[in-house]
Amino acid sequence: MKISKQTRRDARQLFRACLVADALDENRARQAVAAVVRQKPRGYVALLSHFQRLVRLEVARRTARVESAAPLPPEMQARMQSDLTRKYGPGLNFTFSANAALIGGVRIQVGGDVYNGSVQGRLAALRESF
Amino acid sequence: MSTLLQEIEAQIAGLKTGVTRQNVGTVREIGDGVAKIEGLSDAMLNEMLDFGNGVVGLALNLEETEVGAIILGDYTGIKEGQEVRTTGKLLQVPVGKPLLGRVVNALGQPLDGKGPINTQKFYPVEKIAPGIIKRKPVSQPVQTGIMAVDAMIPIGRGQRELIIGDRSTGKTTIGVDTIISQARLNRAAEQAKDASYRPLYCIYVAVGQKQSNVARVIAVLEEAGAMPYTIIVSASASDSATNQYLAPFAGCAMGEWFMDNAMDALIIYDDLSKHAVAYRQVSLVLKRPSGREAYPGDVFYLHSRLLERSARVSEEYGNGSLTGLPIIETQAGDVSAYIPTNVISITDGQIYLETDLFYQGIRPAISVGLSVSRVGSAAQIKAMKQVAGRVKLDLAQFRELAAFAQFGSDLDAKTQAQLERGKRIVEVFKQPQYNPMPVEVQVAALWTVQNGLMDDVAVDKIKDFQGRLTDYLTSRKTALMDKIRGEKALSDARAAELKAAVAEFKQTYK
Repeated sequence: MKISKQTRRDARQLFRACLVADALDENRARQAVAAVVRQKPRGYVALLSHFQRLVRLEVARRTARVESAAPLPPEMQARMQSDLTRKYGPGLNFTFSANAALIGGVRIQVGGDVYNGSVQGRLAALRESF
Repeated sequence: MSTLLQEIEAQIAGLKTGVTRQNVGTVREIGDGVAKIEGLSDAMLNEMLDFGNGVVGLALNLEETEVGAIILGDYTGIKEGQEVRTTGKLLQVPVGKPLLGRVVNALGQPLDGKGPINTQKFYPVEKIAPGIIKRKPVSQPVQTGIMAVDAMIPIGRGQRELIIGDRSTGKTTIGVDTIISQARLNRAAEQAKDASYRPLYCIYVAVGQKQSNVARVIAVLEEAGAMPYTIIVSASASDSATNQYLAPFAGCAMGEWFMDNAMDALIIYDDLSKHAVAYRQVSLVLKRPSGREAYPGDVFYLHSRLLERSARVSEEYGNGSLTGLPIIETQAGDVSAYIPTNVISITDGQIYLETDLFYQGIRPAISVGLSVSRVGSAAQIKAMKQVAGRVKLDLAQFRELAAFAQFGSDLDAKTQAQLERGKRIVEVFKQPQYNPMPVEVQVAALWTVQNGLMDDVAVDKIKDFQGRLTDYLTSRKTALMDKIRGEKALSDARAAELKAAVAEFKQTYK
C-alpha cells in the first residue's frame, strides 16, 4: 500500500499522542484506533496501517525474548527480569521460551540488541572465525 | 600440523570470552541492490552490515524506524525477514604497496586472478580530507610526458586537474600517457639509483567503463611496463551502481596511504560523469529527494569531498602528495552542464579536449584557450618556464590571426611570420598516443621552434624534422640532454650548445 508523507506524519503524530512517559499506553492506542475507525478521515486505512507498524516496532523494542535450551527455573527468570529492567528501564514485556536448537545456554533479545550465550551462537561464531 | 592445532586452540580460547551484545535487525524490503532494514538501532552512517553468507551492506540512510542499506555484491540471496547485524566497522579497503600491479574491484578484492593480496593494512573509504595545517602549496611537477600539457597546462603534485571533453577525444589517453610517463621516470630513477627522485605511483579508477576498454588500458600499461607502479580499480558498466559509486573512494583511500606514508601518488577517476549517474541511481532507489536532472542534492558534496582528499602535505606530515586527475565526459561540448560545472569549480584547472581539433588531426586535441592550470605553473621546472612562457600567448595570437587571415590575402611580413610560426608550434605539439616525451626533449623541441630554427622547415615536414632531431639529440647529444635534465634550467651556455647541436643536425637533415 502506498502511504503518503502526510499520512505517515499523521500516523506518527497519533502514535506520539499515545505515549505516556516514553512508553506506549495500550488504552490510548486502542482509543485512538477506535476513534479513527469511527470518524473515517481521508486515507484512514493507510494511516492505521502505518500506525500499526509504529506500534509493532515499539512493542518489539520493549519486548525481551529469552530463549534457553531448557526451561529456566522461576528464580532465574526473576533475576533476569530484574537485571534487564535495570538495564533497559521499566515497562519491558518478557517472554520466556525453550528452544532445543540452542543446544545449551541462553539467547536474549531486547529490541535490536541480542546477547547470544548459546552453544549454537558460539558454534556460529567459530564457523565465521575460520 | 602442530601449529594448526595450536591455531585452532587459540581460536577456541578466544571464543570463551563473555557474551557480547550484538545489534540486529530484519530485512523488510529488498530490491535494486537496496535493502530496508527494521531494527538496527545502533547502526552508524557508512557502517558495514553483515547479511550473513559473506554478503555485506553499507548503511546509507538512517531513518526513524528503519535503515536503508546498499548491498555490496550479490543481493539475490537476501530474503525478507532475514537477520542483519551491525559490525561496528566502517567500510574499508586494503591499502599498501602489495596492491601495485594488481587489478581490484571497489572493495579491493583482486580481479586479475593473481592470487590474494598480502596486505594487513586497511583504510576507510570515506575519510576527512587533510586540513589546512597539514597542507603545503604545490611545488613539484608531475611530468605527464605530453608536451602540450607540460608546457602550457603544467600539473603539480597534489593538484586536481580535470580532463574534460566529448566522447572519444582522447581523455583516457591523457591519463594513460601520464601513467606510462611516470612508470618510465620511476624506472629510470631506480636504475640510476637516484635517491632524490620521488617515485609517483598511479591509480587508475575505471567507473562504469566497458570491460573491453578497461582490458585495453591494462594491456597498454602492461606493454609499456607501467603495471608495477600502477593499481587499477575497476567498477565496470556491468558492476552494480553501488560498486561504481564506491570505486573512486576506494581508489582514493589506496592513494591516501601513499600520501600518508611520505610517498607521492596520482589517481585518475575515469570518469566522474558515470560516477554521478551511479550515485543518482543509488540515491533514487534509496528514495532520497532528487534535484536538478534528478541528481540528489549532495552530488556536489559527493565530488568535492572526493577531490578534496587530493593534497600535498607538508614536511612535518611526511611531504607526501596525492594528485587527482578526474575525467568528465561532456555532451556535445557543453561544459555548462550540471556535473561538468560542479567539477570544474572544485578542481584547480582543466584540460579541455575538443572534437573539432581531434578531427583536424591536432592530437592531443587540447583547446589552449579553454584549458587552464591554476596552481601548476609553480611546479614547472625553470627550463620549461623559459621556453614555454610565451607559447600560450603565441598560440592564442596565432588562432586569432588565422581566423582573421581567412578573409584577406594581403598580409604584412610580420603577420605572415607569426602565422608561419604558429603553424609550426601547433605541429610541434602534435604527439602520438602512448608515447610520452622526457622533459629535456620537450624543452629542446620548444626551444628550437621558439628560436626560429624550424622556420625554414616546411610545415608538413615539422613532425619528421622533430622526430629526427629528437633521435639525434637523444643518441648523439646525450651529455647535453643529461645536463638540461640535471640542471633543470637552460643557461646561456646550454642554449649555445643546443643551438650548435641543432645547426649540426640541420646540415644532415634533408
